Amino acid sequence: MVVRLLLGLIFVLVAFAVVRALAPARAALAGIVLGAGAVVLVALNRQAITSVEFWAGLVGFAAILSALMIVIHPNPMVSVLFLIVNLFSVALFYLILNAQFLAAIQVIVYAGAIMVLFLFVVMLLNLKAEEGLRGGGGPQRYGAVILGGLFAGLMFHALRNRGPRPYFEPGSFDSGFGTARELGRLLFTRYLFAFEAASLLLIAAMIGAVVLAKRRLR
Amino acid sequence: MDPAVTRVLVEASVKIALFFGVLLTVIAYMTWVERRVSAWIQDRRGPNRVGPFGLLQPLADGIKFLFKEAITPPHVYRPVYLLAPVMIFIPALVTFSVVPIGPAVTLFGRRIPLLIADVDNGVLIILAFASMGVYGVALAGWSSNNKYSLMGGLRSSAQLISYELAMGIAIVGVLMATGSLRLTDIVTHQIANGWNALWQLPGFLIFVIAAFAETNRLPFDLPEAETELVAGYHTEYSGMRFSMFYMAEYANMITASALATTLYLGGYHVPGLAALGLPETAMVIVQVLAFCLKVAFFLFVFVWVRWTLPRFRYDQLMNLGWKGLLPIALAHVLWVSFLVLAGRA
Repeated sequence: MVVRLLLGLIFVLVAFAVVRALAPARAALAGIVLGAGAVVLVALNRQAITSVEFWAGLVGFAAILSALMIVIHPNPMVSVLFLIVNLFSVALFYLILNAQFLAAIQVIVYAGAIMVLFLFVVMLLNLKAEEGLRGGGGPQRYGAVILGGLFAGLMFHALRNRGPRPYFEPGSFDSGFGTARELGRLLFTRYLFAFEAASLLLIAAMIGAVVLAKRRLR
Repeated sequence: MDPAVTRVLVEASVKIALFFGVLLTVIAYMTWVERRVSAWIQDRRGPNRVGPFGLLQPLADGIKFLFKEAITPPHVYRPVYLLAPVMIFIPALVTFSVVPIGPAVTLFGRRIPLLIADVDNGVLIILAFASMGVYGVALAGWSSNNKYSLMGGLRSSAQLISYELAMGIAIVGVLMATGSLRLTDIVTHQIANGWNALWQLPGFLIFVIAAFAETNRLPFDLPEAETELVAGYHTEYSGMRFSMFYMAEYANMITASALATTLYLGGYHVPGLAALGLPETAMVIVQVLAFCLKVAFFLFVFVWVRWTLPRFRYDQLMNLGWKGLLPIALAHVLWVSFLVLAGRA
């Protein structure tokens, strides 16, 4: 049943992407395809609406859709906004997996801090919206089709042959799993070396940035 | 559906509707308070014509905003232009969902905590949504396609990012003292050990100053400095869309006041209340009222400061944030960690 839901989601997304790519000016048409697909999927899977898989599938749908829009949309600023939506969906995945701390950090660091920088860069570069979609020239296009087909086959294979166990069972986790307390304990005991090494790396990068930026002033 | 799930859903929906209604009413009446208090400070009368003491003025304003023409200038980027006011407004409301306004109360045989979501990472959720507010401002400035709007948006974003840092580090002191990120734990810890503001005064002051900057209120309202930037990021907005920015500002003020109360002033705690021996329901009511009173005090301070202090210059603002508040906040964290260790030993 879950397989059917996922395959349906992928089908709707592909249909949406094809409509967007073939008729870039008809944004409403693509929206109708998306909305109709979503309604049909919910109607077909209405008995699964309280299961975790259904909601995970919904979040995955939002994640894939926003990722598609990042690439498809002609305006770079809107692409940045969809990237924020995408990072939010990843935070929701963490929440579904019981990793609350990681979800909050994902929003603070990626959606909050890093994306603001992206936004500034795009804003100040004053990029113009591209006219429609530029189809990748010649060989690139065939490469994309072949690789995409291979990936779709791989996905299909993985979905067909998955084991009887569910993907994840948050109920079976420890009660402290994913909390700040547990994560902090692990970071300061078992993974102390990796933690300190990462912080050293970040400081080196920071000092490097300052040195590079200040070279002219001396 | 499972009856337990239904019960949780109904409880949450009722609480959300209640919080939403109360917040919107308070936002509307904050405009009235702002104008009356400013009139009082400047020895004027203020709006006193619509209803007794002008109490129906917010209603009249709301109707006016709804019926005004909402002009969309031809040069804006429409989808983002329409989205920006919403993106400022929503984070301010969402943040309020983790703030406890009172202790758990027994209703219909169920223990009901007086907050929408008692999550394990409450403080982090607050910081996460506070950082989301930047997008609304930056996007409003960019999508208006106007140099004043863009400058206002850029200034505001830089200001929000700078002061978020000092605010977050000030909160670390509270977290170290409590040993938990849950806001209900922070309140119960203060009930047992005294209010945080009493022994973390520098952190409290930094938090309040940063809250002024985060809400774009005077003396930090540079994004809309009218002498240089016309009206900053909301230059091109009119009608209800313009009023969304104002509602967002007041919503942010209320949330910041509620946070300052919860983190530093003991939340809903009333000293000496347990000794009175009141029935439980009366206790809860008194505590919720105490919470509202503390929030109201902060809201009054917000208005008071606005009509008392002049605006900072932009370099002064950045100097204060990076060279003043941030080092003090870091030193404060060290000091609090020593105190916490000494208290434990």
